[in-house]
Amino acid sequence: MQIDYRAELPGLDCGLCGYPTCDAFAGALQLKPQLLERCTMRSANKQTFTGKVPVPDSPTTLPVVHNKPSVSNGKDPWCDRLGRPFEFYMDVFPGDKGPRETIIPRNPLRTRELEIQPGDLLLGRPSGMSCGCPLTHVGIAERVDAVNGVIDWFITGPLTARQGNPKNIGYYEAIAYDGLIQEKHPNCEIQIGVRYYFQPRRCMMQWRHSGLITFLNQTPHGLQAHAEGLMIG
Amino acid sequence: MNSTARCYFDHSATTPVDPRVIGAMEPFLHDGFGNPSSMYQEGVEAHQALEEAREKAAALFGARPGEVVFTASGTEADNLALRGAIPTPVTEPTHLITAAFEHPAILEVCRYLEKHGVSITFLSVGNDGFVDPQELRRAMRPNTKLVSIMAANNVVGTIQPVAELASVAHEHGALFHTDAVQAAGKLPIDIGRDGIDLLSFSAHKIHGPKGVGALIVRHGLELQPLILGGGQERGIRSGTENVAGIVGLGRAAEIARAEMAQDSVRLVSLRDQLIDGIEERIPNAYVIGHRFRRLPGHICLGISGLEGETVKLLLALNQAGIAVSTGSACSSHHAGEPSHVLLAMGFDAFRARGSVRITLGRFTTSAQVDYLLEVLPLAVRDLQPIASCAGRS
Repeated sequence: MQIDYRAELPGLDCGLCGYPTCDAFAGALQLKPQLLERCTMRSANKQTFTGKVPVPDSPTTLPVVHNKPSVSNGKDPWCDRLGRPFEFYMDVFPGDKGPRETIIPRNPLRTRELEIQPGDLLLGRPSGMSCGCPLTHVGIAERVDAVNGVIDWFITGPLTARQGNPKNIGYYEAIAYDGLIQEKHPNCEIQIGVRYYFQPRRCMMQWRHSGLITFLNQTPHGLQAHAEGLMIG
Repeated sequence: MNSTARCYFDHSATTPVDPRVIGAMEPFLHDGFGNPSSMYQEGVEAHQALEEAREKAAALFGARPGEVVFTASGTEADNLALRGAIPTPVTEPTHLITAAFEHPAILEVCRYLEKHGVSITFLSVGNDGFVDPQELRRAMRPNTKLVSIMAANNVVGTIQPVAELASVAHEHGALFHTDAVQAAGKLPIDIGRDGIDLLSFSAHKIHGPKGVGALIVRHGLELQPLILGGGQERGIRSGTENVAGIVGLGRAAEIARAEMAQDSVRLVSLRDQLIDGIEERIPNAYVIGHRFRRLPGHICLGISGLEGETVKLLLALNQAGIAVSTGSACSSHHAGEPSHVLLAMGFDAFRARGSVRITLGRFTTSAQVDYLLEVLPLAVRDLQPIASCAGRS
């Protein structure tokens, strides 16, 4: 049965629905009644308005992830190898070669001197103001900013160095870390602008890190987080 | 598309003057220089041009010509509406209601009136960009003299339920003013049907010249003038009229009225093409405000994770020949501050900094939209070396 939508439309022929006339719009509604919300001037659309249509999820109020860790390191599942508490695990994105990190060589010119390109195997040690670690890291460059010397890479572990001839960038600063939060402490609410202790899942030392969360995004795989201002311990 | 050609996507800030408007104005920049108040031929001709423009401006809003008061801007029209309807100092308790997301031309006047004894209520705004008539109803008081709610918001572009809001104001014996600077020429506004007592608009938002606006004052209302002098504009706004500008306003209003529907259909199509394309190419982009109840060529975007990088994004787009704005053009002087409009809509301060406003106009082409869809994802991507994979899942 056909519904005559013309009676429901204001007859202003204003074009705001995307159709030149109310009659043309009424014809389209026969096929797609859900288009009716496109009529801005229809009084019923105004009267039923509640002012409570949600905007996209705010990164600060994202759904909660699992509260129990799938791994335990002994007495307290929310403590690192040295017994220090942390609030969540930072996991690797599915399909990535390893944890994503943004780094800058202590001498940023090394990026250009070594002609680092995406896909290059790199070797270096985090040091200095951020994220001091006694281990040399090896990884694969993903993106390279030749102007500032900044490199995004996947940390793949020292054994990867066997696969080729890694370019040695020397000491570097770890600027940021990206990962998925799939498991967190039950009392932890994750928000942008807050510094947290977290445990990178693949950290060989199993030491907690800390970082300031500057980005959150809900993905099908978990809560994507970007931490800056990294420190260990 | 030729990358050296500029692509202008900021029609809510201002619009290019329609060549037909320039054509109408030109005679009054040459031989038609007369003062409309003069009794001789030059003055009479200028006066006639003024009155023709008045008729055209009135027709855009279903008003009578005698209800049009020409001003020098939309801001002046807003000032005249509020300060003219509520002269200070007030002699009795007086209440005015407005919305927290109004243009500064309203908010600053309200703060001025507040300092001079007027009680002001700033209504909150729903998180999809609307003022709720029920909330207005709850805010009304016996001494509410004026309600001022914009017809369409300048940052998010959402269209307000003006007729319902005006009806609530009238039920309680208050006047209703609407700042229609963004809505004029885009929405079918009729002051009689919609119950509007005072309406402000500006020529340069409808492909007319800058420096000229108007206030529609419903017949029978008395306003106290802000500018005293020779008694032009029925004594409400003294000063020799900007004849060429007013003629331009009139012609722009005439064109807008005649072409509103066809412009809307085209702009809605381009707007939807742009929103769909952005959502497809930039997964962390989201539209702020209701998807459909917005001005036909208006998009307000947030890009999750890059809220703090909006200025860099604008500069990168500018280098690529594309003009868009953040928040509103007026806030470009306060680029470090979060948008008061988005704060009013319930956004936190971080996200309220990061809106990108893309507004299309009469001369926007499909090729320009394609070019924006080509460049914007690249510009967003290039912002991310420091943010690493932020925004990519």
